Amino acid sequence: MMGQLLVIAQIAGRRCALSALDVKSVIDLGAVTPIPRAPDYIAGITALRSQALTVIDCRLALGLATKAWPTDHRAAVVAHGGHAYALMVDGIEDITTAAGEPGQVPGGFGPEWSRVAAGMVETMIGPALLIDLPALLAGPETARITEAAANHAD
Amino acid sequence: MDDLLAEFIAETREMLEASSGEIVAWEADPTDRARLDTIFRFVHTVKGNCGFFDFPRLADLSHAAEDALSDCRAGRRDPDPQLVTAVLAIIDRIAIMIDAIEAGDEFPDGGDEALINAVSVSHETLTEAGSGPGKQGSNPHQDEPELPHPGLADGATVPARRTDPAAAQRTIRLPVELLDRVMSGVSDMVLARNDLAHRLRQAGNQPTIDGPFERLSTILTDVRDAITRMRMQRIETLFSVLPRLVRDLSAELAKQVMIDCDGGDVELDREMIETIRDPLTHIIRNAIDHGIEAPAARRAHGKHPIGLLSIAARQSGNTIAIVVSDDGRGLDEDRIAAKAIATGLITAAERAAMPRDKILNLIFEPGFSTAEIVSTVSGRGVGLDVVRQNLEKVGGSIKVASQPECGTVFSLQIPLTLSIIAGLTVEVGGQRFAIPQSYVEEIVQGSSRALDLTRMGEAALVTFRGNRVPCLALGEVLGLNAGAADSDDPTLVMLRLASGDLFALAVDSIHNHGDLVVKPLAPAVMKCGLYAGSTLLDDGQPVLLIDVANIAAAHDLVTDTRVRARQPLDDDAAKPAHDAPRAMLFTDFAGRRSAVRLELVRRIETVPVSAIDRSGERPRGVIDGMILPLVGLSDDALPPTRNAGRVRMLRLSDGAGELLYAVREVEDAVLLPGALHPVPEDPLAEAVTLIDGAPVTLIDAHALFAAYGARPVPVHRPRCHLPDDDWARTILGPLVVAAGYEIADPETGGPETGDPTAGPGAITIIFDEVYEVAEALGRAPTGAVIRLRDHPEAPRGSATIYRYDRDGLLAALSAAAQGAAVPVTAAGASA
Repeated sequence: MMGQLLVIAQIAGRRCALSALDVKSVIDLGAVTPIPRAPDYIAGITALRSQALTVIDCRLALGLATKAWPTDHRAAVVAHGGHAYALMVDGIEDITTAAGEPGQVPGGFGPEWSRVAAGMVETMIGPALLIDLPALLAGPETARITEAAANHAD
Repeated sequence: MDDLLAEFIAETREMLEASSGEIVAWEADPTDRARLDTIFRFVHTVKGNCGFFDFPRLADLSHAAEDALSDCRAGRRDPDPQLVTAVLAIIDRIAIMIDAIEAGDEFPDGGDEALINAVSVSHETLTEAGSGPGKQGSNPHQDEPELPHPGLADGATVPARRTDPAAAQRTIRLPVELLDRVMSGVSDMVLARNDLAHRLRQAGNQPTIDGPFERLSTILTDVRDAITRMRMQRIETLFSVLPRLVRDLSAELAKQVMIDCDGGDVELDREMIETIRDPLTHIIRNAIDHGIEAPAARRAHGKHPIGLLSIAARQSGNTIAIVVSDDGRGLDEDRIAAKAIATGLITAAERAAMPRDKILNLIFEPGFSTAEIVSTVSGRGVGLDVVRQNLEKVGGSIKVASQPECGTVFSLQIPLTLSIIAGLTVEVGGQRFAIPQSYVEEIVQGSSRALDLTRMGEAALVTFRGNRVPCLALGEVLGLNAGAADSDDPTLVMLRLASGDLFALAVDSIHNHGDLVVKPLAPAVMKCGLYAGSTLLDDGQPVLLIDVANIAAAHDLVTDTRVRARQPLDDDAAKPAHDAPRAMLFTDFAGRRSAVRLELVRRIETVPVSAIDRSGERPRGVIDGMILPLVGLSDDALPPTRNAGRVRMLRLSDGAGELLYAVREVEDAVLLPGALHPVPEDPLAEAVTLIDGAPVTLIDAHALFAAYGARPVPVHRPRCHLPDDDWARTILGPLVVAAGYEIADPETGGPETGDPTAGPGAITIIFDEVYEVAEALGRAPTGAVIRLRDHPEAPRGSATIYRYDRDGLLAALSAAAQGAAVPVTAAGASA
């Protein structure tokens, strides 16, 4: 992890880090075609050249309201499971290197954040929350289901 | 060297696959020289390549097979089953060795001699009974100088190689990822092209740029087609290995099975073919092992001793259907049910309530396997549950149907991901969606009254061709807006499902249809169950492809019970029709409420104003490439219409002729219960009647067709010769075609040649300066001629038309078309 490149973005007012290996590019988000009846956190699809990207609103994917924060016109393009996604965030800050291994903080990150957090990572510009991409893309719905299943198991 | 080796391995594999089917076909018909040649070429090529790479054992094996086959070719030996089995064994050994070479393993010694002897032995006994079997067999041609030299034999096949359709195409192998990259590059180019086209249109006409751009555009389209086909492979490649599989299995199980493959030309994504290879093999193994009986048992049941296994592939829309059917004993419902109860899949009570169909499909449930004795053939640890899982993983499905003693039918449905499908773009709630064209039966536009839109509880029904058809509003399905179906003027897309069920989808408007490149959607989006993929429109805007089958299933439109609702409306519609005539009520452009007998109305059309030609003495409209007489328009300029440049028309037919009746508004289909009062003073009115207390004029169909419909529909479109340049082809051509002409092929006779086959009514559009030259040479075109000039201002007394004088051109074309019905009398006929 030491020295690994990270893309630093603001999500819901928090500084978050994405592994630069996951981020294919940062694009100017053009017109987004909404997908009726899709989960809220899926803002729609947009075209990147001839490719269609699924646009994910990271704030809603966390289960937070989106209104409280500004939205950058830029989005990070990531690939997962053979599909490409564009991540809508508050803003994309910088690219920097990790200055240490990801670690946990005592008391956790809070229920919404714990689900998508791979840990806290120190970077050259300060600490950031390292995002677990598959968990983020899964959206808040699945979180509730897994939680329910876990509770049920208890 | 490694590259060469990899190529050798790949090439040998490819040939192995292609030739195994050939061998079985050859065994069935040993006189088939073409098959024999194919197999001979395979072993011959392997032998040649082995020498190059120094694989002595491969070389010996292929050499032995080559010799035996060479004898067959020369007629010295009959290809008996023994020989075929021996040759197959050698080919199998070659395949195993190839695998070992690729893996870099050392192949265990021994075993080769036995195989080599097997092919040589009968040959030895036949030709040289004295010579003992053994290692000599591996080099038989040393003992027999009279044997034709292999090189010679090869030379003899050279002409056959060119004519043989089974000859392998020249191929190279590419990683799929590279293809994907090229494909997305070309897609990007198409988008850039569209953008450029848009800008060029804005910049206005620039002949110096438009020509080359048009050419570039055409080339790009061709390239895109080719690239798209690159990923596709005929399902034949999958079928070609099946005869061998069936042959081996049936030999092993002492059964006689004939295989029949159909639809090998269906094309499928390469990766999809790989995905279905194992499931298909599994089903075939099952069919031979459990389905088809031994010959004696078949005879006892009065069946032909040879069982028939047929495999058919069909493309329907964006799915491929593969049907595997056998004429064996069929599935045993009771045994399946008993097994399912025993394994706890269902309870006895559930079983009692289950229809046969459901019970049969239990065989796909996890943990189910009916084979009591696990044979080497079917019992390989994978059951049909794995087959179903694998198919469902790629979005496919499988089901089974069976009749006792008649046979079993497995139906597989496989999607064509990354495929190009024809699609229709519709708009609802301000957003566009695509619908696969294959589902679209018809597009209907009309007022809700004409369509008899009724609400039954939450459901909506429309009447389409006398049937009550359920109607879904796409806007409601998608939760966009709830107005489409209730609006006065819905556009209905009639969709026919694979099960034969019909339903209507109400949308706001129809945009376009064309080829769509369908891309998969992210799993979270697929979970909505409404979309099958996404695609990009020409302008780069992404749109969602509607999953018609899924939406229909979600709204319970695919049930058997609904068949009743689709019965023709004998009771409530057909009967009253006998009592009182039915008529289509409309308001014409004079504002008069009129009606025409419903039997005459073929369809209600919406026609753009541009398709109406009023330049001739009688107006006409163009629909579906046919010019039809048009009545009902008032004499002054086109009245403003609600539909933004479109006119509603009733397309009337008397069985032979057709005509269009332009109307301001179509109201409804009504009964004519009241008395009909003749109105002799109006020649086109049959009668006046009262509908809801208001007078309505009933159009006299006889008079109408007598006056306007008499001229037959021009089935044969007159031909038009155009100047041979880009402007004429791309700018003038469409106008001429829209006016109902067919563009004459410049190859079959230009205007200068006075082509005698042009037929009456063929007209020629020619630039005036060209015409003058031709006339001076005494080679003026025959038939009607339209002469074009480059400048808007006409010289004195000129019979020419300015090349952008659209009205003038249409008038001239229309006048010429009227001339087409009578012998050509136009100027120039004498030349």
